[in-house]
Amino acid sequence: MTSNRSFRLNLSWLLFLWALLFLPFFIRSNYVISVMLMVAIFGVLSISMGLLLGQAGMFSLAHPTWFGMGAYIAAILSVRGLTSPIGSILIAALCVALLSWLIGAPVLRLRGFYLANATFAIIIIAQIAAAQLSKLTGGHEGLLGIPYLTIGGFVFKKDLHFYYLSWALCIGCFWFCSNLMDSRLGRAIRSFHDNEPASSTLGVNIARYKLQIFVLTAVMASLSGSIFCFYLRFVTPESFGFPLLVELIMMVIIGGIESIRGALLGSFVVLWLTEFIHAYLGKILPVMTGEVDAIFFGLLIIVVLIFMPRGLIGWIELVLNFRRKRYGKS
Amino acid sequence: MTLLSQTIQYALSGVTIGSIYAIVGICWSTVFLISGVLNFTTGEFAMLGGMLTWAYANAGISLGLSAGLAIITSILVAALLERLVINPVRYPSETTYMLITIAAASVIKGAILLTYGTDARRIRPFLEIEPLNILGATLVPQVLVVLGVLVAVTLILWFFFNHTLFGKALRASSINQIGASLIGIEISRFRLFCFALAGALGAISGIVFAPISFTGYNLGFMAGVKGLVVAIVGGWTITGTVAAGLALGLVESFAAGYISTGWKDAIALFAMIVFLVLQTVDFSKRLRRRQP
Repeated sequence: MTSNRSFRLNLSWLLFLWALLFLPFFIRSNYVISVMLMVAIFGVLSISMGLLLGQAGMFSLAHPTWFGMGAYIAAILSVRGLTSPIGSILIAALCVALLSWLIGAPVLRLRGFYLANATFAIIIIAQIAAAQLSKLTGGHEGLLGIPYLTIGGFVFKKDLHFYYLSWALCIGCFWFCSNLMDSRLGRAIRSFHDNEPASSTLGVNIARYKLQIFVLTAVMASLSGSIFCFYLRFVTPESFGFPLLVELIMMVIIGGIESIRGALLGSFVVLWLTEFIHAYLGKILPVMTGEVDAIFFGLLIIVVLIFMPRGLIGWIELVLNFRRKRYGKS
Repeated sequence: MTLLSQTIQYALSGVTIGSIYAIVGICWSTVFLISGVLNFTTGEFAMLGGMLTWAYANAGISLGLSAGLAIITSILVAALLERLVINPVRYPSETTYMLITIAAASVIKGAILLTYGTDARRIRPFLEIEPLNILGATLVPQVLVVLGVLVAVTLILWFFFNHTLFGKALRASSINQIGASLIGIEISRFRLFCFALAGALGAISGIVFAPISFTGYNLGFMAGVKGLVVAIVGGWTITGTVAAGLALGLVESFAAGYISTGWKDAIALFAMIVFLVLQTVDFSKRLRRRQP
């Protein structure tokens, strides 16, 4: 079980990385690249949210807020020319770490759906704040004029550049999260997910570990948010609200809430499904907004939760195990 | 307007919106107490009530009849929701129920958006009386309807839960589900009833509120969140929820009037977070420890 979780370079992973690396050379379509780039950005979000929901059992919904804060802080700093873009990403991550620590310390005393409600409220408060502090954030119209991202003289202009950058972040987060689950912190997290009183009698400082994992995942979300804002070069309060939350929940649920691989798979499936819905149903339906997508995805979440509670990964594992038993090969 | 009349005006609008929050809060707590499901579609039923009444009235049906039809449709939707979505869940847990109802809420919202579009709608007031004047503040007659509905709902539910066998059985099953099913109470049917009741109440709150404010496909979200705030702060009881609802309405209305309109939702939600966190702190123990 343990070795299954940690990230080792075996053949299938090498193939996966190889495919990612050379995808832009085989498929020269800008469209595919731009969707795959979003898969990576949302993959970071869904991996870190899946870590909280599935592995730690902490029902925190505040992820869109950390994502949005990462985007907004990086955008504001670089629009005003206060720091270089790369510096603004780092400062945004630090600010989000501090804020999530300050918010998490009291809020993580709550459990179950009370935690969910409090974090849900944080999303809405953050959205209102982003809309109301219009001198700083540009209000409802959004923040424009974000400069290009430059790292050491290299300017990130094309989708292709962001493709490699975001996948580097995504694979990095994946590697970090899977190894984290095998570390002292990870074992503590899994133990209090299963039974809090038991693990606290064994000397696990639950409050401390909960806060640590909360801050870590918030920082991951913030990093992906910063890259997102430099890619779009435009941020609005609407991008970080309830629709994003539903999308993230969907990625985590469809992929499989119990595994980190599932979250990445979920991000891939959901984003491509959105593209197909837009391509095929856009002609039939009069209005295509996030809310119309939400109908299909809402139905999909319901079906997945009822019929395959462990998500796609659980289903794939079931098939593989069946084959293994039946034919005796892996 | 003088300060006095302004204050009265804010208080009136606070009480009105507060009664709506209270009714939505009661919907949350009825479903939650009896079935343990935190039903995130609650707010959408308030939206459904208003929008369906508008749609039926627009189709040429009289206002009273279309309100009745809207309530019946909402009950049907709520019952379908319970049978098709909540009942088939194989591994029930708080998390699953919460996620699945969030999904269902977005489906309902999206369906209304597709059918009736994004425009804000308004239905005619039920009472065709001129607005009253109290010390310089105007009282729209519909406010009286809202207050009347709140009082009626509270009294009827109080009677139902305390003085009828069915209501008492519902309360019993909320205290101990396994025990209740052992003495022959069928939990699944009760859950269906609670969903239907919550659907009806939500629709009623949406209908009585629609003539005062505009109704639109996205109204349900905030109404639902506020109802949840009120239900939690009110401790999931009817009296507590009503008190918390009115208090929240007043706080919000004064905050909107004297501080800022944009921030009023944030203030309410912040109050909820503070309330929840404060509940986890055991003050009596802390104080005792300080003493030598």
